[in-house]
Amino acid sequence: MLVKYEFLKILRRKSTLIVMAVSLILTAFLFGLPVLQYQTYNQDGVIKGAAGIDYEKEQYAKLSVSLSEEYITETIKEIQELFQNPANVGYDGNEQFLIGDAYWNKTAPREKLLNLIANAYSRPDETLGYNNLPDLDMTEGVFFYQTINEKVETILDNPSRGLSREQKRYWSAMADSVDTPLQYGYYEGWEVMISSFELLMIALLAICIVIAPVFSGEYQAGTDAVILSGRYGKTKLITAKITASLLFGTAAFALHIVVAWGLPLAAFGADGWNLPLQVANTTIPYPFTFLQAVLVNIGVMYLVLLAMIGLTLLLSAKMKSPYLVLIVLVPILFIPMFLTPNGTTGLYNLTLFLLPYRAVMPEFGKYISYQFGGVVLDVLTARAVLYALLTVIMLPLARLGFKRHQKEL
Amino acid sequence: MELQLQNLRKQYGSKCAVRNVSVSLVPGVYGLLGANGAGKTTLMRMICGILKPTSGSIRLNGKTMEELGERYYAHLGYMPQDFGFYPDFTAREFMMYMAAVKGLEKKKAERRTEDLLYMVNLSDIADKKIKSYSGGMKQRLGIAQAELNNPSILILDEPTAGLDPKERVRFRNIISDFAKEKIVILSTHIVSDVSYIADTILMMKQGRFLLQERMTDVTDSIRGKVWELFVDEKTAAKYSKDFAVVNLHHENNMVRMRMINETAPRKDAEAVEPSLEDLFLYYFGEETEKREEM
Repeated sequence: MLVKYEFLKILRRKSTLIVMAVSLILTAFLFGLPVLQYQTYNQDGVIKGAAGIDYEKEQYAKLSVSLSEEYITETIKEIQELFQNPANVGYDGNEQFLIGDAYWNKTAPREKLLNLIANAYSRPDETLGYNNLPDLDMTEGVFFYQTINEKVETILDNPSRGLSREQKRYWSAMADSVDTPLQYGYYEGWEVMISSFELLMIALLAICIVIAPVFSGEYQAGTDAVILSGRYGKTKLITAKITASLLFGTAAFALHIVVAWGLPLAAFGADGWNLPLQVANTTIPYPFTFLQAVLVNIGVMYLVLLAMIGLTLLLSAKMKSPYLVLIVLVPILFIPMFLTPNGTTGLYNLTLFLLPYRAVMPEFGKYISYQFGGVVLDVLTARAVLYALLTVIMLPLARLGFKRHQKEL
Repeated sequence: MELQLQNLRKQYGSKCAVRNVSVSLVPGVYGLLGANGAGKTTLMRMICGILKPTSGSIRLNGKTMEELGERYYAHLGYMPQDFGFYPDFTAREFMMYMAAVKGLEKKKAERRTEDLLYMVNLSDIADKKIKSYSGGMKQRLGIAQAELNNPSILILDEPTAGLDPKERVRFRNIISDFAKEKIVILSTHIVSDVSYIADTILMMKQGRFLLQERMTDVTDSIRGKVWELFVDEKTAAKYSKDFAVVNLHHENNMVRMRMINETAPRKDAEAVEPSLEDLFLYYFGEETEKREEM
């Protein structure tokens, strides 16, 4: 009963409707942009929007393949043969590339895959394209997965990463657990989702704005005196307020996810949900499919949201007006946006990757980890643990803050 | 039922809002009188458990608030002075919400809501949003919510402030109806309100009880000190400066004056029956004047 009324109190405020409407429209717009701005090209020129997406999907229909050593060998051979015919090759003074039919019909439709293969053989600090494939020496075999493993080891051994032996072991074991051969296919929609997680910060901010008056709004309206002198004012009512806030936060978050990803999923389709993340970047160590990766990061983000709700409620219980709550909260949420990491190690970077804004960006391929004694936590687990802990600490503090609130003159 | 305040004190830094107040309250209507800043609201907030005393204790039937916990609050009905509402709630929703806060089960809450809204004459607009209510309607809703749990201690802080005379009369009647067999503490600086309904007067000044008397005896202390006399306007102006004047009434170039003084201001002054208003002025005349000067 109390939860129902507390929920109603949140929903009935005009500010709730305005903030939610603005936030949802902004989210829809930002997540709709990759669809609206999508473009691909073929011999005839640029193909934009839905037509471009359909064209790309058609091309990928032939590329739903298992990336076995044989397939990789065949593919590299095909490209090398194309480059052996001078009629197929162009030169811009810097590098060679394929032209004409060799490019438009035999390369362009699978350029992304070819780049992926080429990059398996690159140094960690360089990016290669399909035009580097002719340089590969395949006399003794392509050793595609072995090369990827070696590249991962090189990344882990890079002194600038400052990884301990335990951390290296942790990441190696994780990378080894990735199933091979990788299954390739179309995954555009999932790539859009994974690369846009930080845009959902708008949702987090909107939810916090709506939740900010839960306690402080009572002080501001002068209703604190009657409710705190009620039988359950210092007990069940506080639980109801916290529960209603969490329920609202969960519902609003879910709604934002639906709005955010509804459009990309509708446009690009859900194809690729079961493909491994490594088809986007072979050195990603997490053994997730795209769907799993998205769900895991949503889970982490949800925990960030819960902790932010906890912090908002704590500030709300302690401050006299919702505006004061937001004055403290907004910088906490958004200052990290203006701080850029300069690596993946050191206190500054490791802290930055845990702060709210960065904490919603998955950073699947960066090997960010935290070590406590002999225990190593990857960044996703560390964030989950940290924000779950913060939630567990802040909600009781918020509860205590309201319970101990004094109606001063 | 006995509510005991023992050496209750509230200190804000060097300022003491309530100074070691002790009183034992049994069922009846207590009119808590005092000028603004006398400590009335602070005292009431401490009784309601929303302001922690610096020292002293509040006991209900011998048990402290802390010992009783939720059970103490179950006895309480409170209508604060600056009572806020949820503007987007209807009166019925607000009452049901408050009933839930007070721990009433749904059926009982619905019944009490219905009865109380009828009693305070809000039944017809019970489903309208509170933001459309007048000040008087909101005050009536305020007392209705305080009465939801049929409290044995009803605390009303300035319940008639800002109401027009007709609303005040209506309000006083509602309070009288609710007051049976309860400890009702009614704070106000509108003396006439308490003179109609209070059984006992508690007069506060600078955080202390100056006076604690049955309504019937409360004016005894100034009996023989209240005077009425007719004077010309020039004398009236002089007397207004020299004496505590309760009332001035101009009648055909003469002025009928009512004043408080230990002795007759002049021979033709007539000693009259003192009222609660006289008593209030007797104790707070200086403070009232100072406020007016400010």
